[in-house]
Amino acid sequence: MSAPRAARYGVPLALAGLVIVAGVLIPGFMSRANLTTILLHVSINGIIALGAVFVIITAGIDLSVGSIVGFAGVLTAATLTSSEVLRLLGPAGAAVLAGIVGIAVGTAVGLFNGGVVARLGVAPFIVTLATMTAARGAARLVTGGVPIGFPDPGDPQYRAKIAALDALHTVGGGRLPFPGLPTGFPVPALVMLGLVALGAFVLVRTRFGRHVYAVGGNEEASRLSGVAVGPVKLATYAISGACAGLAAVLLVGQLRSGGPDAGMLYELNAIAAAVIGGTSLFGGIGTAWGALTGALLIGVLNNGLDLLGVQSFWQEIAKGAIILLAVLFDVWMKRTDARRRSRTARATAAAKE
Amino acid sequence: MSAPPASPLLSLEGVTKRFPGVVALDAVDLSVAAGRVHALVGENGAGKSTLLKIVAGADRPDAGRMSLRGRSVAFAAPREALAAGITVIYQELSLVPQLSAEANIYLGMEPARRGILDRASSLAGARSALESLGADFDATTPAGDLSVAQQQLVELARALARDAQLIAMDEPTAALSHLETGRLFEQIKRLCGRGIAVIFVSHRLEEVRRIADDVTVLRDGRRVFAGAAATVDEAGLIRHMVGRDVEYARLPAAAAPSDPPFLEVRGLTRHGHFGGVSFAVRQGEIVGLAGLVGAGRTEVARGIAGADRVDGGTMSLGGAPYRPTSPREAIARGVVYLPEDRKTQGLVLMMNVRENATLATLARFSVRGVIRRRAEREAAARQTAAVELRPPEIEREAGTLSGGNQQKVVLAKWLLADADLLIFDEPTRGVDVATKVELHRLVRSLADSGKAVLVISSELPEILALADRIVVMREGAVAGELPAEGATAERVLALALPASHAA
Repeated sequence: MSAPRAARYGVPLALAGLVIVAGVLIPGFMSRANLTTILLHVSINGIIALGAVFVIITAGIDLSVGSIVGFAGVLTAATLTSSEVLRLLGPAGAAVLAGIVGIAVGTAVGLFNGGVVARLGVAPFIVTLATMTAARGAARLVTGGVPIGFPDPGDPQYRAKIAALDALHTVGGGRLPFPGLPTGFPVPALVMLGLVALGAFVLVRTRFGRHVYAVGGNEEASRLSGVAVGPVKLATYAISGACAGLAAVLLVGQLRSGGPDAGMLYELNAIAAAVIGGTSLFGGIGTAWGALTGALLIGVLNNGLDLLGVQSFWQEIAKGAIILLAVLFDVWMKRTDARRRSRTARATAAAKE
Repeated sequence: MSAPPASPLLSLEGVTKRFPGVVALDAVDLSVAAGRVHALVGENGAGKSTLLKIVAGADRPDAGRMSLRGRSVAFAAPREALAAGITVIYQELSLVPQLSAEANIYLGMEPARRGILDRASSLAGARSALESLGADFDATTPAGDLSVAQQQLVELARALARDAQLIAMDEPTAALSHLETGRLFEQIKRLCGRGIAVIFVSHRLEEVRRIADDVTVLRDGRRVFAGAAATVDEAGLIRHMVGRDVEYARLPAAAAPSDPPFLEVRGLTRHGHFGGVSFAVRQGEIVGLAGLVGAGRTEVARGIAGADRVDGGTMSLGGAPYRPTSPREAIARGVVYLPEDRKTQGLVLMMNVRENATLATLARFSVRGVIRRRAEREAAARQTAAVELRPPEIEREAGTLSGGNQQKVVLAKWLLADADLLIFDEPTRGVDVATKVELHRLVRSLADSGKAVLVISSELPEILALADRIVVMREGAVAGELPAEGATAERVLALALPASHAA
């Protein structure tokens, strides 16, 4: 809707081009197993990037999501393997509760971010930098620096804990039977696709979504139009936190453990995916599908370079180049847009004279 | 006052500047002589600022010639004008508040050896320049700690340090006390004694008469008078400023407005902006709020609309007490504000017409937060047709529309809100004449349908054509109220112009 036309189709086209080139050049890239692996690897970043898109459309930024993944993750793992919880709820119940805890912790940190940004007017960069630092510290404090997860063989609840870890693994690392896919479809990828579709609906079809664009596009005009600017911003940070919390739950399930250092630099990957996907850091422009295409572009690039046996150092350099290209594209779009605008204005003025 | 020398220092011939929808300058001539003060006067929007920008190299004329000391010049950037010895001091002074006076004076031309600042020489230079201007503060003082008058001296010292031959000052006395104005005038005279030419822009005609050697009057982008200051009195200047050629057909009310006031404002005050403002607006009536830019009209309007807080006074709306703390609250009470700057306050430029039109009323087109697209589209189409948006494309990005069409979109947004009191702030700024007349008709039809309307305009003909009653503001207070019958541009302007300090 609000994105300029070229930005809407440019990234999907680039993604399609990259997939075709990789398919031709790299044997094994186009196999179903590899494609589903890409989706699985992309899903955590895609979910966090979806939250980032909400925040960035309001012209904000959320640097805390990587630390939220760490902090929410260790609390999820702690809940999952807590002897009391297991005694009360059993392995399946513990998995459900652990999931709720993870998402709630992420949402709470997001609400805090949003509250400080919206109420006190502190720059989002600073607020979320602070919570990024603090949440990481809290994760290490809770765990003493050691991952929580796999129980000691001598643990009296050893079996229950393994069962609980397995239960959450069915979500974080599980696969659903899917026709034509011998290994099945990865559950996290399904979660990501569902959330992106939901996010797209919220952004495009709901009043809240419209207000998100309006606040980022012109905060003062929105305020004068009666939009509740503060609550809208607050909600976007809560969404970003919730997405990071959910990502933490999926990651704990996948790895069967929650480490205090999990999620390092995830915030930057998410912002990169959002920006590559056409979200403007100046606000007002971005889509949920853009978060998906951005994350996929990074994922396909990583996967392709992996299959080619390219050193990971080179992969990082390639990723950097892609981000720069995406931002340059954004700037270029803005310029041509401005030129087009002044041309139209001049033409209208000339027509009237 | 010396006789004008044979050839002027700076001369402009037939300078023209167009902006989308308006001709800001229409073949303007200007001739500024060395060692003389040349006053530039005119109403808001007459073209003074545009002319200064062209002289400063900040804007390029579409046509016409400019020559300096007889040589033709065309400045592509302010840097080039500065190098040629032209300094413009804008009303919003352009100092870096964190830097010292000295650093500001030499900003961009710091004396340095191999990139290392030569503090001793810049400090000495700044001190001598400030001293020659009679400054009573040290060059090491941060600019942010100085008064406006002192900051002006820093700007003047900067011009001297750059060896300026021509200094243009845009309303330098607007924020000065009587005493400070006197001191500034002394310095201006001293600069002229050194052969420097000064362009002086002011709304205070008494000051113009006191300081200027020559006067140029602009009106609607055209030069309507040029001559020695001694040959024209204040009344003559006002006559030139007002002129007679732009006039809109007066649109009278269809019926007499209802009697009890709908909005009543009593002693409304916002410290530092306006104080003791009282007036009323009735249903079916258009009240014009006239005054110069900076008189506090927009601030009053924003206070009524809940966009800014107010510190004192009371308001009532439809007989009930009214004190909004946010635009949201004001809108809920049926009060809407159409801001003066559409681009920064009225529209979300990257959203399309439909999204902008329904922004304030989206709740009405949604069920449980989900927008009903058809209802939204229909409402946007209906309302943009009512305001005669051309072309009537509701999916078009708002930023690509002309000024008049943008204003129509803002109007459509608030018509959808079905407000009872509409406050228009400069509703036709940057809008071509044909669209202006259309907008006037729309505003009048709103009043005729029973709405209460408050219109702020710096364009006197607009106020005279539109308003049933005119409230004139001057320097943050109500200077007077005139009924539409018998109001003339001269009478409004006489109330709006600031009282001279010398009185």
